[in-house]
Amino acid sequence: MSDIKEQVRDFIIENFLFGEGGEDLKDDDSFLEKGIIDSTGVLELVEWLEETFDFKVEDEELVPENLDSVNNLEAFISKKQK
Amino acid sequence: MEPRLTYHMLQRAAKNHPDKTAILYKGTGTSYRELLDRAEKTAAFISSCGTLPGFRAGILSDDPVEYISSYFGIQMAGGVSVGLNTQTTPRSLSYHINDCQMDGLAVGKRFLRILKETFQDVPTLKFMVANSLEGFPSEKVNNSITFKDLWEYDSSALEPPFRSSCDLAQIIYTSGTTGKPKGVMLRHSNLLANTKSIVKYLGITGDDRVMAVLPFFYSYGNSIMLTHICQGATLVVNQNMVYPNVILKEMEDNEVTGFSGVPSTFAILLHRSNLHEFSFPKLRYITQAGAPMSPALAIRLKEAFPGVNIYIMYGQTEASARLSYLPPPDLLKKAGSIGIPIPGVELSLLDESGEKVPVGQTGEIVARGENIMAGYWNSPEETAKVLRPEGLRTGDLAWQDDDGYFYIVSRKSDMIKSGSHRIAPKEIEDVVMEHSEVSEAAVVGVEDDILGEAIWLFVVLKPGSNCKLQEIKKHCRRLLPAFKVPHKMVITEALPKTATGKIKKNDLKKQASERISNR
Repeated sequence: MSDIKEQVRDFIIENFLFGEGGEDLKDDDSFLEKGIIDSTGVLELVEWLEETFDFKVEDEELVPENLDSVNNLEAFISKKQK
Repeated sequence: MEPRLTYHMLQRAAKNHPDKTAILYKGTGTSYRELLDRAEKTAAFISSCGTLPGFRAGILSDDPVEYISSYFGIQMAGGVSVGLNTQTTPRSLSYHINDCQMDGLAVGKRFLRILKETFQDVPTLKFMVANSLEGFPSEKVNNSITFKDLWEYDSSALEPPFRSSCDLAQIIYTSGTTGKPKGVMLRHSNLLANTKSIVKYLGITGDDRVMAVLPFFYSYGNSIMLTHICQGATLVVNQNMVYPNVILKEMEDNEVTGFSGVPSTFAILLHRSNLHEFSFPKLRYITQAGAPMSPALAIRLKEAFPGVNIYIMYGQTEASARLSYLPPPDLLKKAGSIGIPIPGVELSLLDESGEKVPVGQTGEIVARGENIMAGYWNSPEETAKVLRPEGLRTGDLAWQDDDGYFYIVSRKSDMIKSGSHRIAPKEIEDVVMEHSEVSEAAVVGVEDDILGEAIWLFVVLKPGSNCKLQEIKKHCRRLLPAFKVPHKMVITEALPKTATGKIKKNDLKKQASERISNR
C-alpha cells in the first residue's frame, strides 16, 4: 500500500469511523454511499488535505471524483503534488 | 375538490397531471401516476396486515420514491407516518419504534444493518417493507415484502378507511429540552393549512421545479415535499450537501425554479462552491428557515442570485413548519428580521403572565393558527407546557418594530441549532456521562460560520483517570447519531459553576470562543 493511501485510510478511519470498522472499508467504497462523510466532514477532510499535503483545494475541486473514496483521494493528492 | 386529507393532494396531482414528473432522483423521473400507484400498493399491502386506523409506521429511507410513497401509503391505509432521521443509531431507532408503538416500518437498503441491531429491543411488528430480511428473526415480523415486490402488489381492492381531517397524519420527532426526543403530532388539517398558506405566499405552481436538498423527515423538508406535491410541481432530489458543486450542477441541468436551505446550506454554497460558474435563468425563489439570516449573508446571497426572490422564514415543527416569512423586497430593509405572520397565523409577543408586551420590548412568540400541532405524543405534561389557552408558546424571545416585523433575540432553552438539526445538550451530556471514566460533562453551542452553531463538549474525568479524548469520541460515535457527535471536545480540570452549583454555560461558550480565536 502506498504511503499516501495509508495516510488517507488512517485519517478516515480515525476521524470518521473513530477507529472502528476500518477492515470493512474498501479502497473504492464511496464515502457518500456508505454514509461515512457528511457536509461538515468533507470540510474537515479538505482542511486535513491542505495542512498535511501543503496544497490548496480549490472550490471546483470539491467533487466526488476527487474526494469520495480512498482511491479517488490517493489519485487527487498525487495529481496535486506533481 | 379541496383536499381534506394529506394524501388527497397526491391524488389530485396524479389526476390533473398523471404524466408529469413528481420526483427526479439520480437522473430517473417518477411521474405522479407512478407515485400514486406506489402509494396505493403500499396502502393495500399494509391494509392486509391487520393494522387498525390510527396505527403508526416508520419510514427510514434516503430514497425519495420509497420515502414519499411510504409516507402517503401509510396515511392512505389509515395510519400515521413517522419519518425517521437517517443519521441514526440502533439505540435511537429502538427508542422511536417503542415510543410511538409502531406497527410497521419501511426501510431502505442502507439502513438494514442498523435495523438488525434493534430487534432484541423492539416488539413484534405487523409489517415490514425492506429489500432484505436476512438476519432478522422471523418471529419479529408478521408480514414482510421487498420494495420490488411491493411495486407489483395488487391494489385493486384497496379501500382507504375513513379518516377525519382532525385525525393524526404524521408524527415528527424533535429534540426535547429534557433530553428525550418528543413526537410532534400533526393532524391532516394542520399540514393542509400550512401547505395552503406556504403555497400562497411563495406562489408555487405546477410549473415549479424545486431542488430539494433538505431531508423529508424534518418539518422543513416535509413542507417542501407537501407544498410542491400539492401543486403538481417537480421535486429534484439530492439530499446531500457534501459536494455543493454537484447540487449546483443538478440545479443548472434541471433548470430548477426554487431552492430551499438552512443557513449552513447557504454558507457552504457561498464559501465552498463554484457558484459563479453556474447559471440559473429559471430560478425564481430561494427560501431559508432555521435561523434569521445575518445582514452580511443576505447581501452576499442577493449578489450571488440577482433577480431571485429570497424568502427568510421562521417556524417550528410544532407549527407543521411555518409561522412567519420576510417578504423578499424587505430582505435588506428589514435585515435580521423573521418577517410577518404567514396567512392564517397570528403571532403575538407575551410576557410570562400572558400579557402583550409593548412594541419594541422583548416577549415570547406565541402562535395561533390551524397549523398548530395536536400535542406531543404520549406526553401530556410536555404538551401542557407549550399548548396554552393563549396559543403555542414557542420558547423564542423576540421584539416587534413599528411596522409589525418580528426580530428574534434568543431562545428560552439552551437548545443548539447546528446545520439543519435542533439538538438538546442534555441528550449528549447524558450519553457522555454513561462513560465510566467521566465525572462531569457539559455541552454548549458555539457560533460557527458554516453550521450556525458547532457542538462543543467539555468533560471532567474521574480523579486519576488517563482516559483519552479519542475514547470519549468513540463512545459518542457508538451511541449518538452522527449529527449529535460533538464537533469539538475538551478535557478540563473543572467546570465553571454558580454558587448553587449550576454550570455556567455562557462561561464555557466564552472559553470556546477564546480557543477558536487563539488558533
